[in-house]
Amino acid sequence: MAGLEFKALHKTYGSVPVIKGVDLSVDHGEFVVFVGPSGCGKSTLLRMIAGLEDITSGELWIGDKLCNDVEPRDRGIAMVFQSYALYPHMTVYDNVGFGLKLARTDKAERDRKIRDAARILQMEALLDRKPSQLSGGQRQRVAIGRAIVRQPEVFLFDEPLSNLDAALRVDMRMELAKLHQDLGATMIYVTHDQVEAMTLADKIVVLNGGVVQQVGAPIDLYQRPANLFVAGFIGSPKMNFAEVTVQSIDGTMATVTSKDISSVSVAADTSRMSVGDTLTLGVRPHHLTLDASGTLVGGVSLVERLGNETNVSLKLPSGATWLVVLDGDHNLRGSQALQLAVDSSTVVLFDKTGQSLLAPR
Amino acid sequence: MASAPTTARSRPSTYPVWFFLPAAIIYSALFLAPTFASLYFSLTRWTLFNSVFIGFENFAQFFREPFLIQGLMNTVMYAVVTSSLKVVLGMGLALLLTSNIIARGYLRSVVFFPVLVSTVGVGITFTVLMHPTQGMINQGLALIGIKGPGWLTDPRLALYSVALVDVWKGVGLATVIYIAGLVAIPRDYYEAARIDGATAWQNFWHVTLPLSRPATATVITLSFIGGLRTFDLIWAMTKGGPGFASDTVASVIYKQYQAGFYGLSTAGNVVLFVLIGIIVVPLTMFLNRKQGHE
Repeated sequence: MAGLEFKALHKTYGSVPVIKGVDLSVDHGEFVVFVGPSGCGKSTLLRMIAGLEDITSGELWIGDKLCNDVEPRDRGIAMVFQSYALYPHMTVYDNVGFGLKLARTDKAERDRKIRDAARILQMEALLDRKPSQLSGGQRQRVAIGRAIVRQPEVFLFDEPLSNLDAALRVDMRMELAKLHQDLGATMIYVTHDQVEAMTLADKIVVLNGGVVQQVGAPIDLYQRPANLFVAGFIGSPKMNFAEVTVQSIDGTMATVTSKDISSVSVAADTSRMSVGDTLTLGVRPHHLTLDASGTLVGGVSLVERLGNETNVSLKLPSGATWLVVLDGDHNLRGSQALQLAVDSSTVVLFDKTGQSLLAPR
Repeated sequence: MASAPTTARSRPSTYPVWFFLPAAIIYSALFLAPTFASLYFSLTRWTLFNSVFIGFENFAQFFREPFLIQGLMNTVMYAVVTSSLKVVLGMGLALLLTSNIIARGYLRSVVFFPVLVSTVGVGITFTVLMHPTQGMINQGLALIGIKGPGWLTDPRLALYSVALVDVWKGVGLATVIYIAGLVAIPRDYYEAARIDGATAWQNFWHVTLPLSRPATATVITLSFIGGLRTFDLIWAMTKGGPGFASDTVASVIYKQYQAGFYGLSTAGNVVLFVLIGIIVVPLTMFLNRKQGHE
């Protein structure tokens, strides 16, 4: 049974650095999600684990084996590709059993493992079909089945749900979570969809520009982002930002103001700021509520009524636009003035370099 | 709402016909009319200036030709040999020319170059090269102590010598078709196989070969049709000889034309047309049968 350890992993293509020194530790049985925007290096990192990309420098340990120069087949991994990579000329049965056939597994043993995987994934009825006769979700299942039969120590998923429609994606997400529970294997999952990351992961690794921005439990990343990038990337809709000035400091509380917000007191690491500093205030759209005595005033520019909640684009006096998510249905008119309260216990301050100024726990 | 489109469908507009018409007229004049005319002339005694209807007499006479059976066998053998070699060599060269070898672009041009050269020119050149005593091939073999055969003068070899030249000239096209087929195979398949532990041979056998089947079908179909109707290279190199050893159906037909039996030779062409149809249509259906490709 294996965890993973990355030590100062680097990857360059020619003179272009893609992964710039990643240190990470993954425990056995953890579900780790690499998340980040396109081109952040998350898929490259996954392919380095799989052995499909060479490691320029650093060390990759899978279990207690240094795997830098180990062939993919000997790493104890299995990978599910974004395209599923199901061989179109083979039946589902042959696709699932392909790796076992190459490994010259005894035919009866092979058959047992294929049928076991089919049972786990509830696709026994599909075994005689060709991939072209399957729906997107069924193909996804077969691709996972192909990984399961190898009984790997580490499962690698490269954006496996991105080709599915929204409804199916939700179903498959739940099935993957259940599969992780049932198998108890280590899973590394790459996605650019932060909702997938939040719902599936034990631990999220946020990457940007080949550098790890933050590693942590999903709710930690949501509530205590390490920097502006993580704050903006994790959470949907995106966090709102405003430039603020420190008006006063009282112990661990800093009071800030801006053109748009009359005054907010925020618990923060006040040792790293002084009165008069210009900081960035981050407020999540869900943490703004309608309040006649609120400190934020703006005009409605766009309303999306979803039934259970209402998304409002708010034009602020400074010209900035903030997104507000209000609980329940609100029949708001365009240009209507709204007064909102900011939940100061959930807001985050960032310094000039973009690092968060959260108060230590 | 639904009735309007139904009415529109039941009375197709004549507008698109005007676009189709020029091509249809040219095709009819250049292809359909000569085809039907040849079907008619194959049933006549034809002197180019006048024709007399004689029913199936030409066909009966064509099948009584003493060397027709050998010509037929030679034709099929020639088509099998050339298309098989083009498939094997074309695939091999395409694998080489899609790998990371140096001067890949240049080598692709070199392989394709013979396709651009005139067939008659190639035939004459190889006739010289294959001369039993003064040809460069046998002289080269003599240097290493091997007495070269009479490539074009030995009746057992002549047909196959021409077939080899045909392969040399045509393999570039097969290679280009295979290259297009190979580069279209998604890389994910190879990576999935690599993670499963596939060796280079297993990669080829389980991934490359089955997934390049559309290219293989195209190469086999094109080269088989080309082989069945081969004439120019045979005529340039052996004229069907020695004796009738390398005669194909097309060269037999040509000899009848030369002798002035226009009706008879046209009947031969109809027979060749039917022969190609009988062999190639089922072959193509077999090669292109649905295999679950997306």
